[in-house]
Amino acid sequence: MDQISPESAPDEAARDAAVSGADATVRVADLWKIFGRKVEAARDMAVAGAERDEIRSETGCLVAVRDVSFGVNAGETFVVMGLSGSGKSTLVRCISRLIEPTFGDMEVCGTVLADASDAALRELRRNKIAMVFQHFGLFPHRRVVDNVAYGLEVQGVGREERHERAHEVLVTVGLDGWEHHYPQQLSGGMQQRVGLARALAVEPEVLFFDEPFSALDPLIRRDMQDELVALQLELQRTIVFITHDFAEALRLADRIAIMRDGAFTQVGTPLEILTQPADDYVRAFTQDAPIAKVLPACSLMRPLGDGAVDESWPRTAETATLESALPFLLSEHRPVVVCNADGDPLGLLHQDDVAAVLEQNLR
Amino acid sequence: MSQTVAAGPGASAGTPASRRRSPLAVGLAAAGLALVIVGFVASVGAFPESWNFGLADPIDRTRRWLINNQTSHWLYTVLLNPLTDLADAGIRRLEAILRWFPWYVYPVFCGLGLWRVRGRVAGALGFCGVVLIGMTDLWQQGFATLALMGVAVFLALLAGIPLGIAAWRNDRFASVLRPTLDAMQTMPGFVYLIPFVLLFGIGRVPALIATVIFALPPVVRLTDVGLRNVPGPMVEASEMFGATDRQTLRLVRIPAARPAILAGANQTTMLAMSMVVIAAFIGSGGLGQDVLRAMRDIDVGEASEAGIAIVIMAIILDRFTRGIATLGERGRGPQTNAPAGGSLRATDTVAIRPVAAATALVALVGGIVGHNKFPEWLQWHYAPYINDITAWARDNLYDIGNSGIGTGPLSDFITVYMVTPLRELLSSGIPWPAMIGLGVLGGLLARGVTLGLGVGVALFLIGWLGMWELSMDTLAQTLVAVAATLAVAVPLGIQASHSDRFQKLADPVLDFLQTIPSFVLLVPVITLFHVGRIPGIIASVIYALPAAVHYTDLGLRRVPAEVHEAATSFGATRGQRLRRVELPLAAPELMVAVNQVIMLVLAMVVIAGLVGGGGLGLETVNALRRSDAVGRGFEAGIAIVLLAGILDRLTRGVADRLRPPPAA
Ligand SMILES: Nc1ncnc2c1ncn2[C@@H]1O[C@H](COP(=O)(O)OP(=O)(O)OP(=O)(O)O)[C@@H](O)[C@H]1O
Ligand SMILES: [Mg+2]
Repeated sequence: MDQISPESAPDEAARDAAVSGADATVRVADLWKIFGRKVEAARDMAVAGAERDEIRSETGCLVAVRDVSFGVNAGETFVVMGLSGSGKSTLVRCISRLIEPTFGDMEVCGTVLADASDAALRELRRNKIAMVFQHFGLFPHRRVVDNVAYGLEVQGVGREERHERAHEVLVTVGLDGWEHHYPQQLSGGMQQRVGLARALAVEPEVLFFDEPFSALDPLIRRDMQDELVALQLELQRTIVFITHDFAEALRLADRIAIMRDGAFTQVGTPLEILTQPADDYVRAFTQDAPIAKVLPACSLMRPLGDGAVDESWPRTAETATLESALPFLLSEHRPVVVCNADGDPLGLLHQDDVAAVLEQNLR
Repeated sequence: MSQTVAAGPGASAGTPASRRRSPLAVGLAAAGLALVIVGFVASVGAFPESWNFGLADPIDRTRRWLINNQTSHWLYTVLLNPLTDLADAGIRRLEAILRWFPWYVYPVFCGLGLWRVRGRVAGALGFCGVVLIGMTDLWQQGFATLALMGVAVFLALLAGIPLGIAAWRNDRFASVLRPTLDAMQTMPGFVYLIPFVLLFGIGRVPALIATVIFALPPVVRLTDVGLRNVPGPMVEASEMFGATDRQTLRLVRIPAARPAILAGANQTTMLAMSMVVIAAFIGSGGLGQDVLRAMRDIDVGEASEAGIAIVIMAIILDRFTRGIATLGERGRGPQTNAPAGGSLRATDTVAIRPVAAATALVALVGGIVGHNKFPEWLQWHYAPYINDITAWARDNLYDIGNSGIGTGPLSDFITVYMVTPLRELLSSGIPWPAMIGLGVLGGLLARGVTLGLGVGVALFLIGWLGMWELSMDTLAQTLVAVAATLAVAVPLGIQASHSDRFQKLADPVLDFLQTIPSFVLLVPVITLFHVGRIPGIIASVIYALPAAVHYTDLGLRRVPAEVHEAATSFGATRGQRLRRVELPLAAPELMVAVNQVIMLVLAMVVIAGLVGGGGLGLETVNALRRSDAVGRGFEAGIAIVLLAGILDRLTRGVADRLRPPPAA
């Protein structure tokens, strides 16, 4: 994962390239979605700086997405986080063109959606993108295996082959043996695993998640998040993930976009959001976040550089939370070595950095 | 400023409160009142015969022309006759196929099938029922009915499902189709026969066409509703995988709407069944014909044998089609206790396969060997016993020991003190302009200007057709029967809503009553009440009872539990709670019950023309019996449709009025 550590923050040029970048897998430029008739007038008002409610009472239009631009690089997890009604679903539905955007350009996997024909759009959906829905969107009349194989069936893949593939994916998400049940016979968590398996079965380049875990209870949500992190380490898909849960965003994201009243108020790495909140709206989220519990150790590490690693320094895993390193950091004045799964050192965690972040959080 | 004020009344005409007070409504109300006053002052009585529009003659002339040209005119030679021949050939072919199979396949097939969908007892009863049809020597007639039914249901589904899909796809089409279906469903089945007799004469083909059209609405409606109710996220999920519209329809929408479509198919089948039986009037043949002949001869025994055969067939068909609708649901019920559901399905399929294979083998072998006649030695008629019972009932129940108690005096009582006075009041006691005026006011109050005008015009048309007195006769019978039905049904419904035990007991009885085709219900009733207006009224009450109880129960059960508890916590007695809280809250539902009851009663009262019910029904029956009475029957048919429309709209208007305003 290409975590951006504090030291590499000057790398602004690369960031800009990512935002508007030509090489991004998903690229969105100046996207607007306005519900209502007088869209032009509503946009002009919005450009002039009017608030959502003002525009609504004046024109009767609802500006659901307001001039949003961003890019998502291949293999990156981009999380859009905002309160209910902030326009997250509308945004992701525009990008997948389940609804038509009012203004703006979008490009997904090299296809410019604005002028894509129905056939081209279908082609894109069949081969390149897939979506996981908040309320699962499973087909109650199809068995689990046929739900998972749906995308392949639509593509015209033969029965034998698609069932085989569906089985493989079901094993991946831990639902081996449930093929012949109907979705209603499964618990909520298992149903969403089916939803995930259904999306993965078509081997998409880009995955859209619209609050996939909101309908699950907290413990299961936690499990699913962990599982998604593990899957993503292995699969390295491009992910656009929608959530209203800040902790979830911190846990999953490479970058987070905070959305409010249809516009992005801040885009940045979890660390940037936590340490340099752009305004009070964002700060309000960061203050409630149990940072030490959600931030992975790797998010605050400094690169190894040339310095050698002392064998006596304590070690922690890349995916472990800051919390697990806290006892060492508080009791000893030595850095903690962050290692990957194979035990190779990746970077060092310094007391000062952690203290700075935690202090910011408490303010 | 002044401009906006000027635009005021026009702009606010949409809200109900201002619509009632719009100048149009006030004018109409004044006109209605004036009609009432003028009518009573002038005391004109019934609608003048001399105003008759005279529709009967041209219709009769058309009929004569059609009969004369049946062999020569292109309308027949090119269009209708080939169509007739094709349909007839289809029915005949199906009948031949059904007859080819060995007789024992049918009871076994029905027994096993019902066992699978409804359990052991149903299976055993199904087996015995089919055997009983054979024993009473109604095997051949049964096939005739079944073949006509089969073709009719096939055609109805063939037309109905695509129509439903089209209605779902195209809102404009739906907005035309839905009111048409509404109107179709308010028309008593009997009336459908008249135009087709006019066009085709007597025979199986007009019966088939009338049946198809009569049975069409439920499957169209439920296909449309089912497709519309497919959850949006499911459709979006399908689209996100790049499915074409066609793929989404085939793989997601239709399977998801399957339960609704199958429920529609079940209702369509049951409507077709009742219509095929009634269509005996125009020579559909089969079991209906036997009932009809026996009823004309007042041979209750024969009529009962054929009638019971029909009921057996109807129940088996109903349970089968309902079973098919629920069978697929079994594995995917809304529960989460996973493994049980899945494995149950698996074993079910395993057990059923060899049995089905064996049955098929036996059927083939038996068919080739030629075991297709129901054996003579198994024959046994119970008609004589029924006739004995009837004779006994007539002698002993009609007037129990000269005590003034019995079905005879009851029938006299209803006639003398209820039906006759009401009929006289409606037809001549209230002057016709006053009646129209009252209708206008009623429509105005129930819904608004349009309905008020509509009711007025419809009533006037009835008079103009020369059907005033007959319509008022039918209306009087209908009102008495509706009152009687509600008097019985509402207490039963209240009881059912308060006691689950009672509901459990009553449900199968009501379910059974509901499955009996209307026409067959007349058989037991004439056993006890002879002929005349009363058997029709009694049969109507029985016919409408299940729906009335069901809706009352439903309405009362819908009252939220908190409201119940709140009422009780204030110390209300059961009676107080019922009167003050439950009935007012259930009022819209009760009004729907009234609406249903009226429509069912009207349908039955019309058919009762056959057993001396008089009124409009008699005219229609005559039209179907004698070709020279078609014109008059046509007029009566239109009057029935108008009457049904008026009653339906008025009661539905009131029901809507009673509904609490939707939350803002
Ligand atoms: N089809 C529509 N027509 C009009 N307004 C709409 C439509 N769809 C959404 N909106 C409005 O757009 C705004 C954004 O909705 P959206 O569903 O995108 O919010 P969200 O951030 O996904 O919220 P949630 O967390 O509740 O899902 C809301 O105010 C909503 O009422
Ligand atoms: Mg949403």
